[in-house]
Amino acid sequence: MPTHDVKDVLKNYLHEELDENGNAVEVREDDNLLANGIIDSLGVLKLVSFIEHQFKVQIPDEDVTIKNFRCLKDIASYLETKKQQPEVEG
Amino acid sequence: MITRGGFPYLLPQLLDTAAECFPEREALRFFDQSLTYEELAGRSSSLARLLVEQGVKKGDRVGFYLEKSLEAVVAIYGIMKAGAAYVPVDPLAPVSRVAFIIQDCGLRHLVSSETKSSQLRQLLDRRVALESVVGVEAKESLPVRCITWDEVHQTPPKAAAGADATEMDLAYILYTSGSTGDPKGVMHTHRSALSFAQWAAETFRLSCEDRLSNHAPYHFDLTILDLFAGAAAGASTVIIGEDVARLPASLAALISEERLSVWYSVPFALMQLLQRGRLESRDLSALRCVLFAGEPFPPKHLSQLMRLLPHAAFFNLYGPTETNVCTFYEVPAVPEDEERPLPIGGPCSNTELLVVDGEDRAVAPGETGELLVRSAATMPGYWNRPEQTGRAFLRRSATPPFEQLFYRTGDLVQQDADGHYQFLGRKDRQVKVRGFRIELDEIEVALLAHAQVEEAAVYLRPNGEETVSIETAVVAKTGTPPTSLELSRYLSDRLPSYAVPNSILIVDQLPRTSTGKIDRRTLRDRALSARST
Repeated sequence: MPTHDVKDVLKNYLHEELDENGNAVEVREDDNLLANGIIDSLGVLKLVSFIEHQFKVQIPDEDVTIKNFRCLKDIASYLETKKQQPEVEG
Repeated sequence: MITRGGFPYLLPQLLDTAAECFPEREALRFFDQSLTYEELAGRSSSLARLLVEQGVKKGDRVGFYLEKSLEAVVAIYGIMKAGAAYVPVDPLAPVSRVAFIIQDCGLRHLVSSETKSSQLRQLLDRRVALESVVGVEAKESLPVRCITWDEVHQTPPKAAAGADATEMDLAYILYTSGSTGDPKGVMHTHRSALSFAQWAAETFRLSCEDRLSNHAPYHFDLTILDLFAGAAAGASTVIIGEDVARLPASLAALISEERLSVWYSVPFALMQLLQRGRLESRDLSALRCVLFAGEPFPPKHLSQLMRLLPHAAFFNLYGPTETNVCTFYEVPAVPEDEERPLPIGGPCSNTELLVVDGEDRAVAPGETGELLVRSAATMPGYWNRPEQTGRAFLRRSATPPFEQLFYRTGDLVQQDADGHYQFLGRKDRQVKVRGFRIELDEIEVALLAHAQVEEAAVYLRPNGEETVSIETAVVAKTGTPPTSLELSRYLSDRLPSYAVPNSILIVDQLPRTSTGKIDRRTLRDRALSARST
């Protein structure tokens, strides 16, 4: 899936998720998702499991970092690199 | 603890003394930025002078409304050096709540940042009486005096506090959930905060070699230890951004890379680290002291954490915001299958505890009662709430003119055979969700203010052993009933996000007890059985 599609899927997901929490806002691709209260600690877990399900990937705990999950752009490029690397155990 | 430079009686004196003793040492670290004690002392004195030039005077309250940053701590010290009390405003709170706090304690000046421009504009649209905002560029959309950090840094430092400042003066106000529907401001003096900070510095043997975490947001009282006990020892405090705090893998990496030696947070953060931080693969050898407070730590998880950190001492700290910390418990080795909750321990120094029954009579040791606290670290009262302040204390007469004031914690406790206190629950409807203190009544009051809500009942539903979620059943007025989504949005505009219920059910009627009261227990049981089928 091209990067911009990944971002759109995530944008839609966040929009619906935030709407449910009564907090709907337009999320831009370089908005810091975590510092601005867009998602909280539990929201991170939900987002990770959504991505795993949607894009059929395994995201190990140690990958859920500020580098990979700060904003939609970072998540998209993380998924991009993940696709290029074969799954390595450990 | 530093003792050079005279006996400190004001919080900023901790900073200035540390700046004299260790000018070059790192006071604060935030990602790749840092400030030495000399720089922090200098910048806060410049901010103080600038605030005085804006008309801030002794006894005023000045707010700060910005994310975790070096600037936030410069604001804390600068405001106090100007003779005012600082008021941290949750940067994630809805604008209506921010406006309430600004009006409630009469803030006329705010330290903020560009990231808050849109919220600042909304505040000004609501005609809050702000005169100046520090940390933002002047712009047409902000009809208020804007002062940039460059202007602050160019201002010469203000001289130390005048002779009219005493330890009895107001130092800060922390707003916390109020059962009447509005947040209430817990006032602390220099003395109450210093008493706690110095106790902590001594008890945990803090030194200038220590590196402390600052995990909690500034409107939480955990930061009093992070900042002021740290400064009392000349230690470094590592500010953890809101984003890193939410990502256990990044948080664990930070503890290791920053060589943190003293950690302080709610148990939830430590459980997240344990479950998703890959702690076993990190070098946490510098971590010598792990402190937690805010809610009970499930012993099973604590035991796992302690086995991963065999060289660290663990302490359970207890105390409502009103008392800072009033009891503590050093955790001995916890067996893996331990199910008994952890004690809250015994009193801190300079603290007297009293356990009373419903008639304010002391109970016999081992009997259950409400915990009352008299200590130097206890607040004098709530801002501008004489009635609530009156109700918060038991006044016990002593030889005139002495009178003993015991703060009523609302927590039910029992002393065990070893003399340690055990926390058993609440007398009222205050709850802790992931360490956040929430009055369920505040949520109900907010819902009842909605034009189409007839009745509302808020209750907690346990999700397994670690977490609880807030749920609500609402009876609508006749006519078009509101949807759950509408009510959720309505609450999000009024309450902090952690207090917005996870589920809102629209029901025809609420279950009642035989005496006609809303039966919240039945609501909770129904929710539990609905999910499990």
